[in-house]
Amino acid sequence: MNCHDFEKLVLSLARNSMLDAASREQSLIHMEGCERCAARMAEERALLARVRAVAAEMAGEEPPARIDAALLAAFRAQTAATTSSTVILAPGRVRHWLSWKFAAIAAGILLLISAMALSWRSASSRKPQPEELVNTPAPGSAPGPQVTPLPTVEPQEDRERIMAGQPEKPRKRFQRPVLNEDQTEAEIATQFILLREGEDLTSMERLSLVRVELPGSVINEVGIPIVLELVNTTVTADVLLGQDGLARAIRLVAANSTTESIKKDSGAN
Amino acid sequence: MKGAMTKPMVPSDAELLRLMFAGDEQAFTTLYARYKGIVYRFALLMSGQTSIAEEVTQEVFLALLRNGRRYDPSRGSLKAYLCGAARNQVLLLMEHERPYVRLVEESDEGNAVPIAQLISGADPLGDCARSQANRLVRQAVLALPARYREVIVLCDFQELSYAEAAQALDCPVGTVNSRLHRGHALLSKKLRAAGLDSATPSAQVMRCFA
Repeated sequence: MNCHDFEKLVLSLARNSMLDAASREQSLIHMEGCERCAARMAEERALLARVRAVAAEMAGEEPPARIDAALLAAFRAQTAATTSSTVILAPGRVRHWLSWKFAAIAAGILLLISAMALSWRSASSRKPQPEELVNTPAPGSAPGPQVTPLPTVEPQEDRERIMAGQPEKPRKRFQRPVLNEDQTEAEIATQFILLREGEDLTSMERLSLVRVELPGSVINEVGIPIVLELVNTTVTADVLLGQDGLARAIRLVAANSTTESIKKDSGAN
Repeated sequence: MKGAMTKPMVPSDAELLRLMFAGDEQAFTTLYARYKGIVYRFALLMSGQTSIAEEVTQEVFLALLRNGRRYDPSRGSLKAYLCGAARNQVLLLMEHERPYVRLVEESDEGNAVPIAQLISGADPLGDCARSQANRLVRQAVLALPARYREVIVLCDFQELSYAEAAQALDCPVGTVNSRLHRGHALLSKKLRAAGLDSATPSAQVMRCFA
């Protein structure tokens, strides 16, 4: 063995890692006769001793308890979601730039919902101008909930009464209008929000759509803001699953009846 | 008697993963307790920042929850798999934070000394010198280029085998070996420049306070 061969093995020798007996024997013999290689070995051992002293000092350094708690919560949320709908969502994260991104997406969703509602309203109303005046909130009134302002569904007699300027008849609060079958089935949805940043869904071989019910708090933790009233209730969502069964994108769905009732409730308050 | 002497069965990583994906919380906490320190310390040594180490730990285990089914035990150990994921996260975060200049060298949290270290042993001066030497070693490691720093952290600090380090870094074993050689040479040079020569830590301490 020469010095070049010894240099190839010096790290393994210093680390006492697996080395065949013949190579080890030859290295030790060479080291006894070569002062330079002996010094090289001493240098490597000293370096490793220093590094391992630091490693020993750091042995107790672990993530804080809040990380443990956050991950445990994520595991529980995933288990709950998997049991019901195979949806895997991430919990709230410390990364602020992701939060900004979600906020931007959420703002876009709200704009889209508003645009959809306005176009639906203009298409469905027979005499749009008076109805719009009736539905305009009074100045200074409390802002309504951040749900889609769906088209008004007052019964025909209400419309005629409003047009004639008659006072409103007293009626029970929270009275839900009777909807026909088409209206009950109609629903609106946001655009799909990618659950993994930058993922190209067009590259997936197969995607499947699953309708799920999720706790509102889970949606909120992902970073998609929803109205306070929905945090403690369940939220309907459509989830796009890849061929591996993992959730790729999500959109929120609101039925007309739900949003209308929320709207009525807030109006009553 | 024979049964009493039997060593308690330690569940394998693969078994814990299987149970974890079946919804077993105990399996998850066991797996997390087994590897959280390794992932956290790897990120801390690579970045020098507790905030990054915490975020990396969280992201790595979240990724395990989401994508852990993709882990193939035949391709290597879970330890190497997690270190590889941590390495990718560290590089991503450090790249993201590059435009920002840190006004304070270390946060208060980073300067916090564990209680155990505040209690002096029989040799307080020696403890102080060792702590100072360790701080210099950590600074020297942080000053290394990332490709050398990561092999030193994996092989020397975390004591992964060359094969495991190669799996974590997604490179051939020969590359790990050559980078480790080069990394050691650079580290030795930086330690000498910092006033730590090739003598062993204990010998250095003896000389300091002789």
